Amino acid sequence: MDEVDFARIFDVLPSPFMLLDKELRYVTANRAYLETVGRELSDIFGENLFDLFPNSGESGRRLRESFDRVMATGKPDTLPYLAYPIARSAEGEMEERFWTAVHVPVLDEGGSVRYVLQNTVDVTEIARMRAASTVPFTALSAETQLIERTREAEASNADFRRLFQQAPAFFAVLSGPRHVFTFASDSYLRLVGGRSVVGHTVADALPEIRGQGLIELLDRVFSEGYVHQAEGARVMLVRSEGKPPEETFLDFTYHPIRDADGTITGVFVQGMDRTEAVRATQRQRILIDELNHRVNNTMATVQSIASQTLRSTADPATARDAFQARITALAKAHNMLSDRNWHDTEIGCLVVQELSAYGDGQISCEGPRLVVNSKATIALALLLHELATNAIRHGALSVPEGKLSVNWSSDEATNLVIDWREEGGPPAIAPARRGFGSRLLDTVVTGELGGQLDLRYQPAGLSARLVIPPAAYLARELTLG
Amino acid sequence: MGKFDGRRIFVVEDETLVLFNLEDILADLGCEVVGQAMRLDQAVTQAQAVGEVDAAILDVNIGGTTVFPAAEILAQRGIPLLFATGYGRDGLPPEWQDHAVIMKPYSPQDVERALSPLLARAGA
Repeated sequence: MDEVDFARIFDVLPSPFMLLDKELRYVTANRAYLETVGRELSDIFGENLFDLFPNSGESGRRLRESFDRVMATGKPDTLPYLAYPIARSAEGEMEERFWTAVHVPVLDEGGSVRYVLQNTVDVTEIARMRAASTVPFTALSAETQLIERTREAEASNADFRRLFQQAPAFFAVLSGPRHVFTFASDSYLRLVGGRSVVGHTVADALPEIRGQGLIELLDRVFSEGYVHQAEGARVMLVRSEGKPPEETFLDFTYHPIRDADGTITGVFVQGMDRTEAVRATQRQRILIDELNHRVNNTMATVQSIASQTLRSTADPATARDAFQARITALAKAHNMLSDRNWHDTEIGCLVVQELSAYGDGQISCEGPRLVVNSKATIALALLLHELATNAIRHGALSVPEGKLSVNWSSDEATNLVIDWREEGGPPAIAPARRGFGSRLLDTVVTGELGGQLDLRYQPAGLSARLVIPPAAYLARELTLG
Repeated sequence: MGKFDGRRIFVVEDETLVLFNLEDILADLGCEVVGQAMRLDQAVTQAQAVGEVDAAILDVNIGGTTVFPAAEILAQRGIPLLFATGYGRDGLPPEWQDHAVIMKPYSPQDVERALSPLLARAGA
């Protein structure tokens, strides 16, 4: 049998081991230890443990006392639960970790202690689970006999843990000054797009929240112990992995977690995702604004119809009739729009509705099904009303034998083309003074709709050809009147 | 004649009837409408091309878009602006809230009151 190579076995042992002399200087350490502390053997050989990993706190004192006991008694000593931060990178960033340390003396021939062998087991995950399972109903005890009690704690808190895990509100437990996630409920994980956060710092797990003031708040809660509450706070958060951050609205609180001595050990995060509610409120606000806008615009139109009618009509009774007829035409167009959620109407319906009041046999309307947006609907309704009124008073519809045809189509450039042709009535004569009707026709077609108007006063009767470009009449996703 | 005889006004309004009403109000005040636009592309072109203007009355929402690209040009030319909107002052983005606003629907007196300080500033 070959000679057993103990140095090699020491080196490949999976848990961290290191050997100190009586001055607490490193003699050797195995690979697992070097990996845990992130150093090379040459970095630590001959160096004092506390020079290399200074710790003036409670943990440092307990560690030192344990070594002293081993030296004094020559007997092994165990620290079941030791909080000891180590540098997690060459840049010196410290990370809080929990250890169980066993110190065994190595005696010389004379029976006195020559070395101390330390075996450490990283129990950070267990410690964090323990912290999570107790929060927020019991505080942590610094002297907890961790290993023995973890199982018991887990069993007795399993229900609480499950409650938190599945609660509709989100919960997370952060530990230490760097805010390492030790627990995150299902809803919290949904909030952050299912990223694995436990075991990572907030800054590493959710890099997009840097610069949004939240880590600074956590620092304050951790260092000053104050409770932070926020309502409807706007946070840019990655909601699906690989996607850019999305605007998210949260109600949340940060509570300090204290141990039995009152020392803050972490931060308890709880909250609700309010994004949908906030968006619904915003949508409602937009709708109300839009309604206000439409009402005010309609009022302005009605006001203008009144003022225009009174200006252009001397006789009060005639003015009253003309005003009512125009308002009725406007109201009918509004009704058609409101039947279709104010998106659009069909040009055919618009024409038929405006002309339906007049003699059946005299009018023919024809054209394909074409949808026009809300703005063009109002404009065309008023225009068709003026044309029809004129036909009844002076044109083809003023005599029983007169005919009116209204045809519409879409040309190769998707222009909406409307042909209005009167026949069999009195000859059409261009008015000496431009009245309200022709001014409206001209302004609506060439101004408001940006199209072309070809208006002809002919012996056979009035004819009008309206060419309206697609940009002016095609239905848009959202039409703002 | 009117109170603001010969003052030159530039108008953007996308609704025919509202435009007629405004034109009538301005005519009664003695103003001359030196340019008018009913669509944004027109408004932008005219804002650059139109000659001397004493004030501009701009409908904020024109055909589903906003008048601000044209307003920008007019403001840079130092022309006093009066925004007309169904939303009121709150409907204006913050960068435009320093300008005069008139709420739709407006009366001839509303227009007169709103124009007075703009035309006084421009020099009587």
